[in-house]
Amino acid sequence: VLAALRFTPGQLRGVLAIVAALILGAGITGMTAILAKSAVIEETTSQSGRLSVAALQLYQALSQADATAASSYLTGGTPSEEMNDSYREAMRDATVALATAAGEVRSPADTELVAQLNARLPVYTGLVETARTFNRLGEPVGATYQEQASTLMRQEMLPSAHDLQENALGQLSESRTHAEAFPWAAAALTIAALGTLVWAQLWLSRKTNRVLNLGLVGATVLMVGFAGWLAMASLASGNHTERSHDDGAGPLELLSQAEITAQQARAEESLLLIARGEDNDAAVRYEEHITELIGEGRLLDRLDAEFGDDPELSASIDTAREAAETWSSGHGEVVKLAREGSYTDAVALAVGDEETSLSTSFDALNDALTAATKTSADRFADATNDAQRSLSGAAAGLAALALGALICAAVGIQMRVAEYYA
Amino acid sequence: MTQHRTAQPPTATRDGRRSPKRPARLAAAAAAGLLLAACTGPANMEPPNVDVPTPLPAGIDFSPDASPAVPDTSCNPLASYNPGAVTAEQARAQLDDPEQISIGISQSTNLMGYRDPETNRLAGFDIDVATAMVKAIMGDETKVRWVPMISDDREPALADDRVDMVVRTMSITCKRWENVEFSSEYFRAGQRLLVAKDSEIEGLASMTGEQQVCTGASSTSVGNIAAVNTEVQPVTVPDFNDCLVLLQQGTVDAVAIDDTILAGMAVQDPTLHIVGEAFSQESYGIAFQKGNTDLARFVNGALAAMIADGTWQTAYDTWLKVPLGVDAAAPTTTYRD
Repeated sequence: VLAALRFTPGQLRGVLAIVAALILGAGITGMTAILAKSAVIEETTSQSGRLSVAALQLYQALSQADATAASSYLTGGTPSEEMNDSYREAMRDATVALATAAGEVRSPADTELVAQLNARLPVYTGLVETARTFNRLGEPVGATYQEQASTLMRQEMLPSAHDLQENALGQLSESRTHAEAFPWAAAALTIAALGTLVWAQLWLSRKTNRVLNLGLVGATVLMVGFAGWLAMASLASGNHTERSHDDGAGPLELLSQAEITAQQARAEESLLLIARGEDNDAAVRYEEHITELIGEGRLLDRLDAEFGDDPELSASIDTAREAAETWSSGHGEVVKLAREGSYTDAVALAVGDEETSLSTSFDALNDALTAATKTSADRFADATNDAQRSLSGAAAGLAALALGALICAAVGIQMRVAEYYA
Repeated sequence: MTQHRTAQPPTATRDGRRSPKRPARLAAAAAAGLLLAACTGPANMEPPNVDVPTPLPAGIDFSPDASPAVPDTSCNPLASYNPGAVTAEQARAQLDDPEQISIGISQSTNLMGYRDPETNRLAGFDIDVATAMVKAIMGDETKVRWVPMISDDREPALADDRVDMVVRTMSITCKRWENVEFSSEYFRAGQRLLVAKDSEIEGLASMTGEQQVCTGASSTSVGNIAAVNTEVQPVTVPDFNDCLVLLQQGTVDAVAIDDTILAGMAVQDPTLHIVGEAFSQESYGIAFQKGNTDLARFVNGALAAMIADGTWQTAYDTWLKVPLGVDAAAPTTTYRD
C-alpha cells in the first residue's frame, strides 16, 4: 500500500497536467474561434461588406446614368432640370462608389475590374457630352454618339461592374459561412476538460476519502460557465449572421438585380427611339430585360415568392409589379407608334412630362425598388451589428474563465500533493 | 497563490505559472495574424494593365469579306414600266389600305430622310419625293403612314405587306428586281469618299494598306471598294452613321458610301469634305411589292410630272445642291415597254 501511495504525487501531477492541457486547449480554441468570428463579421461590415455595397451602388449608378442619358437625349437639346440632376447624381454616385471600391479591393482580378471601369468612365461621359452638344446644334450625328456611349456601357462597363459585384458577394457569403460555423473543436475540448475534472474528483475522493476538492469544484463551475458562454455567443452570432443574410443580403441582391434590370430596359427603350425606330437589336434587348423582370418565375416573381409575406417589403414588391406591368404594356404602344411613324407621339409617351407618360410608371417602379432595397440594406447592417455585439467581450471572458479554471485546478491538486510532503 | 508557490513541485509550478501567459500570447499571435491578413492587399499588388479604351459601335467588323464586286449585266435595271394610262384609282387598288398609303423611309439619313432634331419633323430629299408621290396617288399629302426601317428591312417589309412602297436611298439592281418592282430612276448617286480636310487622301485609288475605310455592312460598298483598291482595309458597321463617328474619332481614315449620304455627314462637320471620283453608280428608285406594276406605272408618271414641273429641282436645290457642290438635273428615264 505504501509503495502505491509513493507514486500518488506523480499521479496527481499527471492528472493536473491532463486537466491543465484540456482547459488550456479549450480556452485557446474557444477564444481564437470567437476572435476569428468577430474578425469575419468585422470584415462583412468593413472590407467585403463595403466592397459589396460599393459594387452594388456602382452597378446601379451606371445603369441609372445610362438610362437617364439616353432618355434625356430624346428630349432634344433641352433636357429637363430633373433629368439633368438625375444624370449628374448618378455620375456622382458612380464615381464615389468606384473610389470606395478602389480602396477595398483585395484581389488582382478586382483591382483590374476597378481600373477598367475607371479608364472607361471618362470616355463614356465624353461620348454623352458630345452627343448632347451635337443634339443641341441640331446635328443628327449626336444620336450615334449616344448609341456608342450606351454600347460602351452595355458591352464593357456594366459587365465589369457586374463581375465586381459577383466577386464581392462571393466573398461576403464565404465570410458568412465562416461566421455561422459552430466552434466544434473548442466545444469538444471543453466537454473533455469537464469530463476529466469530474473524473479527477471521483478519483481523488476515492484515494483520499474526502468528498470535495474545492479547487476542482471551482474549476468545474468555471468550465461550465465557459461552455455556456461559448455556446451562447456562437449560436447568437450565428443566428444574427443568418438573419443578416435571410432578411438583408438575400432580398438586397434580388432587389438590386431588379432595379438594375429595370434601368437597363429603360435605356434600351430610349435607344430604340434614339435610333428613330431603326434599331431592332435595342427592341430585342428591351424584351430580354423586361422578361427578366416580370416574366414567369423571374425577378419580381422570385421576390414575391420569397419575401411576399414580409410586411415591410411586400407593399413595395406589389407596387413595383404593378408599375412594371403598366410600363410594359405602355411600351408596346411606344413601339407601335414608332413603327407607324408617329415618332413625336412615341417619344412623348415614353419620356414626356405628362402623367400618362411611361416616365411615371418607370419612376414608380424605380422608387418602389429603391425603398425596398434601402429597407433590406438597413436590416443587413442591423443584423450584422447584432452579431458583432453578441460576441463583444466573449473572447476576453472566455480567456478569463479558462484561466480561472486552470488556477483552481492547479491549486486544488497542489493542496493534495502538498499533503504528501507535510 | 504565494503560499502554494513555495510548496509546489517544479513541474507543477511551470505548468501553473506559464499557462496563463500562453493563451494570451497565442491570442495575440492569432489577432496579429488576422490583422495582417486583413491588411495585406493593394500594397502588394502590381498596378493592372488596362488597354486604352476605344469606343466602338456594336457589330463593327474589321475584316469583312472583301471580294471585288463584279458588274451585274444580266438586265437593264433602269428600264421600268411605262406609265401609260394607269389612273390614281388603279394605283390605289394595289395599296394595302386604299385610304392610307404606307411608305418605308429612313429617319436617320441626314438630308435624305431624317428626323430633324430641332423640329422633330421628317425631312429630306427622299421625303420630298415621297410626299409628291403621296399627293399624286392619294390626292392628299396627309393620307400617309411613314414607316421607319433599316435598309435590310426594305425588301421583307414590301413582301410582308408592311409598306406599299419604299423611298429610302435604294439602288436599283438586277438582283433586287427579282424580289421587288422598281420605279424609274429618280436620283443618280455614286459612292465617293469622306475624309478630313487636312488629310492627304484625294481618292480611293491612292489610299494605302495602312489606311482604313469605313462603310455600311449591308451596302455593296465593300465589293466596290475592293474593285478599285485591294490594299486599303475595309471596316464595316451595321449602321453607316457610325462611320462618321469613327472618322471624327480618328479610328478610320475615310468613309465610303453614296455621296448623298456623305453630303449629309459633311454638313455636320466643317472639318470634313467629300473627295475623289464616284467609284460606283447608285441609281435610286422607289420599290414596290413584286406584282404591283400598276402602282409602279402610276408612280413613274408622277415622277416624270414632278421632274417636269420643277418640284424635283426645288427638292434637289433645297437639300443636296450646296453639300454636293454641283448643279444636277434629274436623270433621264427609260421604260421597258
